[in-house]
Amino acid sequence: MKIAVMSCIHGNYEALETVLRDIEQQKAEKIFCLGDLVGYGPFPSNVVEMIRSLDIPTVQGCWDEDIVEGLNSCECSYPSVLAEQRGKFVHEWTNQHIYDETREYLAELPKTLLDGNLAFVHGSPQSQHEYLLPELNGFIALERVLSTGADILFCGHTHIPYVRSLDQGQLQVRVMTGVETLNAESRSFNTDLKRIVNVGSVGEPRHGRPNATYVIYDTDSDQITMREVEYDYQKTCAAIIERGLPAIFAWRLAKGMEYAERADDASHLCERGV
Amino acid sequence: MSIWAILSGIEGNLIAYEAVLADIKRQTPKVTDLFILGDVINANPASGKVIERIQQPRSGELVAQVCKGWWEEQLLMLHGYVQPIEPNPLMEKYGAATAKQLWDSIPKETVEWISNLDFGFMELDCLLTHGSSINVLEELTPQSSPLQLFDRVMRTQANRLFCGRSGQTFRYHIKDGSVSSTVITLDGIQPSQSEEASERYIIGVGNVGRNPNVSTYTLYSPNTDKLQFKTVRYGSGKGFN
Repeated sequence: MKIAVMSCIHGNYEALETVLRDIEQQKAEKIFCLGDLVGYGPFPSNVVEMIRSLDIPTVQGCWDEDIVEGLNSCECSYPSVLAEQRGKFVHEWTNQHIYDETREYLAELPKTLLDGNLAFVHGSPQSQHEYLLPELNGFIALERVLSTGADILFCGHTHIPYVRSLDQGQLQVRVMTGVETLNAESRSFNTDLKRIVNVGSVGEPRHGRPNATYVIYDTDSDQITMREVEYDYQKTCAAIIERGLPAIFAWRLAKGMEYAERADDASHLCERGV
Repeated sequence: MSIWAILSGIEGNLIAYEAVLADIKRQTPKVTDLFILGDVINANPASGKVIERIQQPRSGELVAQVCKGWWEEQLLMLHGYVQPIEPNPLMEKYGAATAKQLWDSIPKETVEWISNLDFGFMELDCLLTHGSSINVLEELTPQSSPLQLFDRVMRTQANRLFCGRSGQTFRYHIKDGSVSSTVITLDGIQPSQSEEASERYIIGVGNVGRNPNVSTYTLYSPNTDKLQFKTVRYGSGKGFN
């Protein structure tokens, strides 16, 4: 069976429609969404309504959480002062442009979904705000997968797709317990192949091109395919400006790149728990 | 030479704390630093006395460096100093009567003092905290996942993590390890990498007040890396350690 996994739609209805058509053409039988339905883009409520109407299993993203809980960003969220200023403005804009029932839907979204040996999160199993960058220490990356009990961890949040295979993981430890009499024991741990699949972003890609990205996973062949889909991004860019969002978001969308908002510290780990 | 005495979990047991302080005074070479890794209090009216004792050390006694523990976090949650957690851990574990008892046991001005306690201490290459590097509620034990333990010590760039939540004394030594990693992006396959794990330690420092008549704590010398777990018997079960 083919499943499609997408993330970070960010109010880009045009991109979502195109990706849904592509998913249909790929003959995927099930779709999972990894959150961030709102924020940055001009049509947050339309995106949420589309996801709801198709009954797509969805986890809560960091933007979805902040719209519900109020802006409560941790230091992972804004890598620069400029990014923070724009983020706060867009948070307020989005807040004013979504319906109460949309907010209720976002509030009810789970933070993790499990399906067999697959786990689905927005950022990481630790936090919706944590970036699982491809350069993250291999043991920590392995810990994130193992903490879900899954073999494949699907995530988004960075807006750049990748597939990371972690193989032949092993640790040697020596444990001493007791107080007056110490008992020493050596232990060895080995792990099978685990994978982290970052599905990129439908509505706000940052891989250097404006195309939407998502992933198809074939459960029978165990094959992961990163999909890159062209859509009429200029339509969304125009709507961003028309609806009063910062023009730089249109520029960034057209370039498919980050602008002063790089989450480039692979060693930074989110201190905020789920 | 520095010698640290590292305690956790006095849990309002003043007699146990006095016994441990007396044991610390007897040590040679002398203990130079005293760390208390949380759970100074519990839902026990004597908790206030323990805090007073810590706040006002006697002449010649070490001034304790104290960080928050599970019980302090519950108290701060009750008083609205920290974000509530659902389900509430205190209510879930001990019920409403204990929550009320905790509220009644600690005067408001002491709550203020507790709210100013640190999350933990970073000393040299050691992190000293109650739970883990993530929060005070997390319990690390020798049975925890090795990768979880590795993550909790790695994420702070420390080599040693001292913790008290479990109440156990243990030394978990991650000796070595490796993992191979391959990344595929839209631009193609990146060269495979093999990463090695460097040595890390997670140390459970024991518990002072939870078990009647017997306390455990830890002595550590950062100069020599010598670690010693101590048992102190007091009251009717008193004996030599």
